[in-house]
Amino acid sequence: MLIRTKYAKLKPLRYISHLELMNVLRRAFRRAEIPTAFTGGFNPHVKLSLSQPLSVGMTGCSEYFDLELAEEMPPKIFREKLSVFLPAGLELLETREVSAATKSLQAVADTAIYRITMNIDDGLDEERIIKDFMSLPEIKVTRERRNKKDRVIDLKPMIHNIEIIDQAVWDFTVSTGSRGNVRTEELLRALAERFEGIKEVPEVNIERRGLYKRINDELYQPFAKKVTGS
Amino acid sequence: MNLEEKLDKNLYRVSKPERYIGSEWNQIKKEWDEVRTRVVLAFPDVYEIGMSHLGLKILYHLLNKRDDILCERVYAPWPDMEELMEKEEIPLFSLEGKHSVNKFDILAFTLQYEMGYTNIINMINLAGLPLYSNERNRDHPLVIGGGAVVYNPEPVAPFFDLFFIGEAETGIVNLVDKIKEYREEGLLREEMLRKLSNLPGVYIPSLYQIDYDNSGRISAITPADGIKEKIDRQIISDLDKAFYPTEFMVPYMDIVHDRATLEISRGCTRGCRFCVAGMSYRPVRERKISTLVDLADRILASTGYDEVSLTSLSTVDYSGIHDLIRILTERYQEKKVSISLSSLRVDEFSVELAREIQQVRKSGLTFAPEAGTDRLRKVINKGIKEDDLFQAAEAAFKAGWSSIKLYFMLGLPTETDEDVDGIVDLARRVLEIGRRIRQESNNRMKPIQIHVSVSTFIPKPFTPFQWVAMVDKEEILKKQDYLRKNLRGRGLKLSWDEPDLSVLEGIFARGDRRLAPVLETAWKLGARFDGWNELFRSDIWKKALQVNGINEQDYLTSRNTGDILPWAHINLGIKEGFLQKEYDRALNEEFTPDCRFKSCTGCDICFSLDSTMEIVGADNIVNQD
Repeated sequence: MLIRTKYAKLKPLRYISHLELMNVLRRAFRRAEIPTAFTGGFNPHVKLSLSQPLSVGMTGCSEYFDLELAEEMPPKIFREKLSVFLPAGLELLETREVSAATKSLQAVADTAIYRITMNIDDGLDEERIIKDFMSLPEIKVTRERRNKKDRVIDLKPMIHNIEIIDQAVWDFTVSTGSRGNVRTEELLRALAERFEGIKEVPEVNIERRGLYKRINDELYQPFAKKVTGS
Repeated sequence: MNLEEKLDKNLYRVSKPERYIGSEWNQIKKEWDEVRTRVVLAFPDVYEIGMSHLGLKILYHLLNKRDDILCERVYAPWPDMEELMEKEEIPLFSLEGKHSVNKFDILAFTLQYEMGYTNIINMINLAGLPLYSNERNRDHPLVIGGGAVVYNPEPVAPFFDLFFIGEAETGIVNLVDKIKEYREEGLLREEMLRKLSNLPGVYIPSLYQIDYDNSGRISAITPADGIKEKIDRQIISDLDKAFYPTEFMVPYMDIVHDRATLEISRGCTRGCRFCVAGMSYRPVRERKISTLVDLADRILASTGYDEVSLTSLSTVDYSGIHDLIRILTERYQEKKVSISLSSLRVDEFSVELAREIQQVRKSGLTFAPEAGTDRLRKVINKGIKEDDLFQAAEAAFKAGWSSIKLYFMLGLPTETDEDVDGIVDLARRVLEIGRRIRQESNNRMKPIQIHVSVSTFIPKPFTPFQWVAMVDKEEILKKQDYLRKNLRGRGLKLSWDEPDLSVLEGIFARGDRRLAPVLETAWKLGARFDGWNELFRSDIWKKALQVNGINEQDYLTSRNTGDILPWAHINLGIKEGFLQKEYDRALNEEFTPDCRFKSCTGCDICFSLDSTMEIVGADNIVNQD
């Protein structure tokens, strides 16, 4: 039985890395006596997979993990049982059973919304800046790559929308995942390089609002029927 | 902005911020205002090392069992964090409640390793406290210490108000209560320390006067009027019934020992003559199998760990080891919990046990022959012959291991070129055995790897070698060079200790109070985390020794058996005559067998401190289902 869970990773755990988070979950499954399924072989592992890693320092209010269970368990019971054994800062929001044929979270989610508390000088016209930025023909930035040479990439086709939520609080809808990925740090650098009065901000200013699949310009949650087919 | 918010906003600036956030599963957090006494346990190294330390966890849970005591933790901040703390004006804080360390009643350090001393000083300073005991008053927390190297605490004695000598489970709760009582009575610091000195195991360094003669050696250690002459080490009796925590904290970050820890026994009487632990944790005391199985169940349920490590100074010597392993593997097989052993003996039996718990896939096996020839092993009382090593290696290769690590020491007393060459010879022959078995094997085996790790022998207090001279740096370099030249090629890997670091450790291991200013100077010049190669700076230490007029040779040289050693007022329960006898036997290349299997060796521990051997591992095996 495959279940998909939406959860929030909040402030108290913002400094926990992706791998550490997986360990937190694995241990919590054991404490809660969740009947997890294991991989075979010499070194059995829980069949757990998470959505795209959240950078250390960020919070995320709609993150996801998939877990395979060795026995049937109603999703609601799973969520209740596990919640008792999670540390503060990790909240399970919803669990649904999905068909075993469902594509993995990392294959499904191709779009993310980041809410960034910006560092903008007072008096700047935020709407104007966004309009100018979005109408640029290309947005080239240098991408630093681990153990590889830097590369110049164009963010333009991967930035889908920028929306003002509040003064100096913007929501960025951008591509994420293996078929095109925008790093928030590049996004901020691109803005800071082009507009005076905008400075880069650290990860603690960023919240990932959600992960979605984009179909014909519409965003669907990884739970949605259109995505899981079940 | 309160401290919690400040940390939340700023920790992205430092490496490994998880070190400073606390809030691990099973952490105990109490309301500051709802308790009577507040204790902070301090570990003078980084989180991932400190969190792997069993002793502090035992004390943490033991103290927190009491509703009126709040016990929290603090670890040494890495230099980048220290910088941030300075910039943001963050004082040293506890992980649980993010309380300023100087607000606690007691700041309790564990002394784990000589090269952690500058971190202790740094932490006292970051807490905003005066460094030296005699500069502090009754409004400051009492700074106390205990732990593995407390048996010669003299180099750090002036920084501490009090040491607890021995196993703190015996007296820490009572000590904490008394300290609080005297603080509430408003006693002056000196009055309080005087009263506390009456408690068993409590050593107040300021109440002992040390005199030196013209040659710089200690001429007398004199307790103040009415103060006990010797401080007896405190020892838990009936380990099986002793407190052991089950609700271990589960860290977020990967720590050194990230698994459930089951202390199956304490103490070791193998009698290796270089080993301070082998002397200072006597006598051997075991827990019963039924107790251990019950503890393991509870620890696994409360932590969610998937591995149990059986720990002890010599795990395989536990009298019921085979049954224990059989019972645990059967019990946890279905839950996919694995069992690991913290140490192996150099013999086939150990390999057999390791094979049973399928450590194969995990890592290589480690054996510690310690010396290169049978002769030198007799000197150090490591009771194995080279054939034992070859048989163990053969068994290991046949069981599928392809990588073996061998531990040796350089600079042991009476060591000759032949002994150093013996290391090369043993490593090469083990490699040959491995290659032969690989060739004959029907299974696919990775190429054989022999990793030789050589550390430098450092004479330690309360060992039969406490009187010998430490080998000097040039000699270490020469021997290391020889190994580097002769242990290269495919399948061989060599690692060694930084000689400057070993020499320094040698100075402090047998040091006295005159070294305290050296520590202070080195700390002021920026010494931190000296045990970490990447942060160790020998130039600082050279300067610190020089500025304070200390000649390192005075500390590295040999002592006479009649000398008053800096730790003479600490009573470990081991007769000095026993250490002397063992020293003589070493020079005569005589082996002394373990008293568990042969006759009493006369160390006196079973008669001097109201303690006795507890070999109960094999008792009371009941069906656990």
